[in-house]
Amino acid sequence: MSLFEKFEDKSRLLKGLLEQSPRDPFSVSMDEMLGPTRAMVKGKEIVLAGTNNYLGLTYDEGAIEAACDAVKSSGTGTTGSRFANGTYAGHKELEADLAEFLGYKHCIVFSTGYQANLGAISALAAPPNDVILIDADCHACIYDGCQLSGAETIRFRHNDPESLDKRLSRLGPEVKGKLVCLEGMYSMFGDVAPVKEFVEVAHKHGAQVLLDEAHSFGVFGEGGRGVCERDGVLADVDFYTGTFSKSLASIGGFVASNHPELEYLRFSSRPYVFTASPSPANVAAASAALKKISTDSSMRTRLWENAERIHAAFTQLGFELCAPASPVIAVKLKNKEEAFMAWNVLMENGVYVNLAIPPGTPNAASILRLSVSAAHTNEDLDVVVDAYTTLSQILAKGAA
Amino acid sequence: MSGIQEDDDLVFHKITSLLEPLNEKGVKLTRETDIIADLEIDSVSLLDVVMDIEDNYDISIPVNTISEIKTIGELVDAIHKIKKEQS
Repeated sequence: MSLFEKFEDKSRLLKGLLEQSPRDPFSVSMDEMLGPTRAMVKGKEIVLAGTNNYLGLTYDEGAIEAACDAVKSSGTGTTGSRFANGTYAGHKELEADLAEFLGYKHCIVFSTGYQANLGAISALAAPPNDVILIDADCHACIYDGCQLSGAETIRFRHNDPESLDKRLSRLGPEVKGKLVCLEGMYSMFGDVAPVKEFVEVAHKHGAQVLLDEAHSFGVFGEGGRGVCERDGVLADVDFYTGTFSKSLASIGGFVASNHPELEYLRFSSRPYVFTASPSPANVAAASAALKKISTDSSMRTRLWENAERIHAAFTQLGFELCAPASPVIAVKLKNKEEAFMAWNVLMENGVYVNLAIPPGTPNAASILRLSVSAAHTNEDLDVVVDAYTTLSQILAKGAA
Repeated sequence: MSGIQEDDDLVFHKITSLLEPLNEKGVKLTRETDIIADLEIDSVSLLDVVMDIEDNYDISIPVNTISEIKTIGELVDAIHKIKKEQS
């Protein structure tokens, strides 16, 4: 019996798939970045179509300049927690800017989006009298937040407010706090939550809503404030969580709220207290990207044009798609083996997408997950459509 | 006593009917069957089966409880306990 024994059975399945696969989809190295949508991988130029770089701001001149200035003025790292020596003027300004942009009174910046959810959920709900209700397809960081909190956690059916309603109705009078967690757009399939209905159901039962807009911030709503803005319930969300590592083109995360009690998290949230704060460069880049998003909607327009084009092209090619058009376009394959094969075909044809297989996917689906960027040029998208056309021909031959 | 036994059988049969489509190797399902190890299904698939059980019996089974369950028999017992608590 050794520590490693438990990995053997699990890794055996993956090993079989990897041995058959010319490239390892889970250890791709971008040897040289050429821009927001291109990289060199093993000597070949690849179009990046699995990045979450929705607005394409990773090479925005203003953000790069702000990050460089921050390094020069404030150093390469904070070497400490937000709770101790790691809160600089930049962190406070970004919190104020995010709160203002979203229209909330309070905001707390964390070191990653993962930690924002982990930190908020684990601090807000506590055993034995609080209950957390989560959408079945929530991201791992929400599940982990529940585990760290130790509170009783109940799953409801994905995107099904009636399922939440039933589960809230079953709770006994001993339950005090009720925290409902869901996401705006889900990362794997790109499907969108009926946020308005969820908020209504939760509030009817006296529950509070934590909405993770990691993938939908900057993408949905008139001003890019997420699915809850689009659905007209931005002000009704109790806890709005987000990340800097997608539309904000940096790394970090945040929780925003109108509840003044949010400030309690600054000393009760372990993922806030016991880790170093985001570096000055990360904070400055996110601040610059936020300013750009709040004044310029052209990236969002371009993003949706690109999403519509790819979704229409894939539909025409006869692929089974997991959701209506959104910046995440997932193609469902028959099984893991076919998904590995398809992923390799796309790489050979110069396109990187994310390969996702169970248990990391809903409904045990094997998918190729593509994310569109506003920075994708028409030429980039031509390469993508050509590669998927080749793939569809290969799949058709295999089926014949 | 016989009433409990009969009910126990009904829950057991319900669970096995939900697990059978995932039982690709055709393992004989008993109270002692280890759901994840013997049936070689992943933890997420188990959570989805539990969701069907919840809707069938109109109960909520916390994730915390599921993570402690290994065998079909333990799942049957947990359902009886929760049915009693939540009725």
